[in-house]
Amino acid sequence: MSRSYLFIPGNTPAMIQNLDVFDSDAIIIDLEDSVNAFDKDAARSLIENFLTKYAFDEIKIYIRINSVDSNYFYSDVNQTADLAIAGYVLPKASVKAIKQLNQVSNKKIIPIIESPMALLRVEEIAKQQNVIALLFGAEDYTKELKIKRTLEGTEILYARSIIAIAANAYKLDAIDTPYTSKDDEEGLKTDALNAKNLGFNAKALIHPNQVAVINEIFAPSKTEIAEAKRIIKKSEETKQGAFSLDGKMIDLPIIEKAKKVLEKAKKYHL
Amino acid sequence: MKEKSLKKLKIIKTIDELFENEEITLNKNISFHHHLRNGDYVINYVLQKYIDEEVQNINLFPSAIFPNYKTILTLIKNRQINNITTNYLNGDVAKYISTHGLKGKLKMQTHGGRARAIKEGKNYLDIAFIAAPYVNLKGDAVGYLGKTRCGSLGYAIPDSLYAKIKVLVTDNLVDEVINNPEIKGENIDYILLMDKIGDRAGIVSGTTQITTNPLGVKIARNTSLLLAELGLIKNGFSFQSGAGGISLRVTKDIKEIMINKKIKASFFSGGITKYHVEMLEENLVEKLYDVQCFDLEAIDSLAKNKNHLPISASKYASPLNSERVIKDLDIVILGATEIDYDFNVNVTTDSHQTIIGGSGGHSDTASEAKVTVIVSPLIKGRIPIIKKRVTTITTLGKNIDCLVTERGIAINPLRKDLIKQLKNTNLKILSIKELAEIAYHFTNIPKDITKRDKIIGEVEDRTYEIIDYLYQK
Repeated sequence: MSRSYLFIPGNTPAMIQNLDVFDSDAIIIDLEDSVNAFDKDAARSLIENFLTKYAFDEIKIYIRINSVDSNYFYSDVNQTADLAIAGYVLPKASVKAIKQLNQVSNKKIIPIIESPMALLRVEEIAKQQNVIALLFGAEDYTKELKIKRTLEGTEILYARSIIAIAANAYKLDAIDTPYTSKDDEEGLKTDALNAKNLGFNAKALIHPNQVAVINEIFAPSKTEIAEAKRIIKKSEETKQGAFSLDGKMIDLPIIEKAKKVLEKAKKYHL
Repeated sequence: MKEKSLKKLKIIKTIDELFENEEITLNKNISFHHHLRNGDYVINYVLQKYIDEEVQNINLFPSAIFPNYKTILTLIKNRQINNITTNYLNGDVAKYISTHGLKGKLKMQTHGGRARAIKEGKNYLDIAFIAAPYVNLKGDAVGYLGKTRCGSLGYAIPDSLYAKIKVLVTDNLVDEVINNPEIKGENIDYILLMDKIGDRAGIVSGTTQITTNPLGVKIARNTSLLLAELGLIKNGFSFQSGAGGISLRVTKDIKEIMINKKIKASFFSGGITKYHVEMLEENLVEKLYDVQCFDLEAIDSLAKNKNHLPISASKYASPLNSERVIKDLDIVILGATEIDYDFNVNVTTDSHQTIIGGSGGHSDTASEAKVTVIVSPLIKGRIPIIKKRVTTITTLGKNIDCLVTERGIAINPLRKDLIKQLKNTNLKILSIKELAEIAYHFTNIPKDITKRDKIIGEVEDRTYEIIDYLYQK
């Protein structure tokens, strides 16, 4: 249960050294797109050395390895296999790719749904062993569809909806695609709220300055926390499965939702 | 008095003409201001004459020295300069002095200390050359008008009052009345005409952009949260932030708090930037007290906004001036190259003992503001900023209240009141040693390579106390 997943290039010592100061709930150290071919080996060594020496208890660290079709996949997995990380983020995900990764690793997996085919197979992907979340990759997805990516995101509405539904159906975290316009805070807020309203519970980020906004949006608001507290209190008082509060019917799903809100509030010190 | 002065005022066209009237060898304690910063043409023009005439035993009193002031380096290398007294220096002159020293010594003062020392004759000035972008025939001058306008002339005003000979140097002599001149003609002896006194492109300070660096953003956020938690951002508060990227980000964050809570500040002081001007124009602050403009927007604002006021270095920070602005300052945000376990701050030298700056108003404002906050990343270029003992003390630790970094906040144990106020905070408050340990966890403890064999200068606080020495590296 993380709100923010911040990508950090695997070949940037200054960023990696500070990965725990950006307030992101989870960090994805990248070995894929942000690292040039000639730098892949140096990045692997840097990550291995850093994560061997330094431990981070309050932050989940993932590594985005290169895709199973690349020349770097096995080297990425082999050199990071013994590191105490939360799991791998797998680009260009497919059922076959996840199975291939599961053959060489037992770590948790966050597949990136970033192709039309992956979207068609998203339910099957969600069911694979070790999969703990689905991450939407809108840039590659729209590239494959040969459609223009817009900041409004109407072209990805369907894909977002399906991914959020699949993730929620299989009790996985639903992680929205990054918002690439890094200096547009208002745009980021709108984009994140759109995703939240479709069922995403987290968002991937490409810049540390986006973390505060995302953490706020994907955390329960003060009103939500107060409401949840009232629901739980009334539930405990009435000891009934269904009851009325302010003229609204409260039943088990709403009580469960309220519990989750309070769980999140506790986790994020709200 | 005025009539006498007016009779004396002479308009001259060359530096040669000046020294036909005055004996150059009797005028070797020379002052300049730095409001044209790296775009200044006046200093090199004047000092070339001293080079050509091979004048010996010169003592310089520039308010600051920038890389473009190349004639100073020539004079030092020629062994024509004895002592330099200034508030700030960087570039080749600073590097050369760091490795070679001077024939005499380098004295680093504060802006307020310089104003005081000039008034009290401790800095005795034979001749002051005052670059002035807008001068009338009476010798009245302002800095915020004219083609080479540079904003406030605050640092030059003590020189214009107390030097033995005062020379305005201008490229813009007008036959107009100047209301409320910063420099008063009754004090001026000569107006020296030049084709151009400077290049406006060089006037802009190099650091006047709000940082977007994630660490800087985090530090700024921690700072604004700290100030809010201490209850300092309230109606009528006063604030100074300087022009560093993190400081300006703090200003931006505070602006948001002010808008949200409908708070209006009483004044901002010191070096003024476009961000401060924006807040004045948005009615978030009543007055800007401007001792130097850091960008062109601030300069233009000074010319048109009656609540944007130029002030002298004395009115800004001189301990002698009972109306000095900073005595009413609530908050000042300052930077640090190094800070030590006793909260002493260095902004004068780097860790290799090269001179890279100086106090400016650092020690002045820290001494007087109710709360002084140092903002800095914990590690800069693989070097922790916290040391057991700073290389050079610029500002005494007793005047520093808080250190805000990306990994936590340290409060000076002397400020028991602040510590008490923050007892139940969610902010990450650590001791300065604990913060240092976090840095050392990544960097280990760097070996101290400071050489303390040969003294080349001293750091004089605004009280005249020598608080540290500069050593040859």
